[in-house]
Amino acid sequence: MNIATSYLAKRAAQKERVRILYRRALKETLNWAVHRHLFYPDADAMREKFEANRNVEDLETIDRLIADGEARHDKWRHPDPYIVPWAPGGSKFTRNPTMPSGIEIVYDFGREDNA
Amino acid sequence: MQGLRTSILRHVRIGVSMQGKFLVKDVNSLKVCHQLCTSVGTSSDEIMSRVIGLVKKFDKIEGTKVTETADFQKDLSLDSLDRVELVMAFEEEFSVEIPEEEADKLRCCADVAKYISSGAEQKSAENI
Repeated sequence: MNIATSYLAKRAAQKERVRILYRRALKETLNWAVHRHLFYPDADAMREKFEANRNVEDLETIDRLIADGEARHDKWRHPDPYIVPWAPGGSKFTRNPTMPSGIEIVYDFGREDNA
Repeated sequence: MQGLRTSILRHVRIGVSMQGKFLVKDVNSLKVCHQLCTSVGTSSDEIMSRVIGLVKKFDKIEGTKVTETADFQKDLSLDSLDRVELVMAFEEEFSVEIPEEEADKLRCCADVAKYISSGAEQKSAENI
C-alpha cells in the first residue's frame, strides 16, 4: 500500500515535470521561430518527441529522460526570448501607469468655484 | 441631347450608389478592425464566444461537445500535453501571459474566460 502510494506520488510529480518541460519547450520553439507558421511544424515535431516516450513505465528511465529533456532545453535557450508586451520585461510594461490616488487635475488653480 | 442627359444621369446615379456601398464597406471593415484588435477592451460575453470558438477549432476536440463548462480533461478527453497546447493557443489569441500555476487551474472554457477578463480589467486600469 505504502509502496503503491509513493509510486503514484512519484508518477504524479513526473507528470508535472513533463508538463512544465513541454510548456517551456513549446515557448522556446516559439522564440526560435521567426513566424507563427514556422512554429507549427516545429511544435508538432516537439510533440512527437514527447509522444515517443509516452508508454515508458520505469521510474528511473522516466527520470533520466526528463533530465535529458531539461538539459537539452537548457542548451537551446533563446538569448532574446519573446515577452508579451504587458508582462514584466515587455516593451509596454509599466507604460502609462495608473495615477496614484489623491492626484487630480486642477483646472483653474482652485478659482473655478468662485467664478 | 436626351441621350446625353440620360447617360449623364445614369453615371451620376451609379456614382451615388457606389458611394453608398463604399460607406457600408468602410463601416464593416472598421468593425472587423475592432474585432481583430486584441488589446481593445472587450466584454465578457465576447471573450467567452472567442474562447469557445478557439476551443472548437482545436483539432483534437469534437466541436459539438464544446460547452461553457465542459471539462477539458474529462469531457473533451484531452491529455495534459494537449492542455498545454490549448493554453498556448489562448496566450496567442488574447496576447496575455498565463503563468504555469494559473494554467493548471484552467479546467473549462468558463475558467479561461474569467481569467482573461480579469486580466483585461487590470490592463485597462493600467492604461487609463
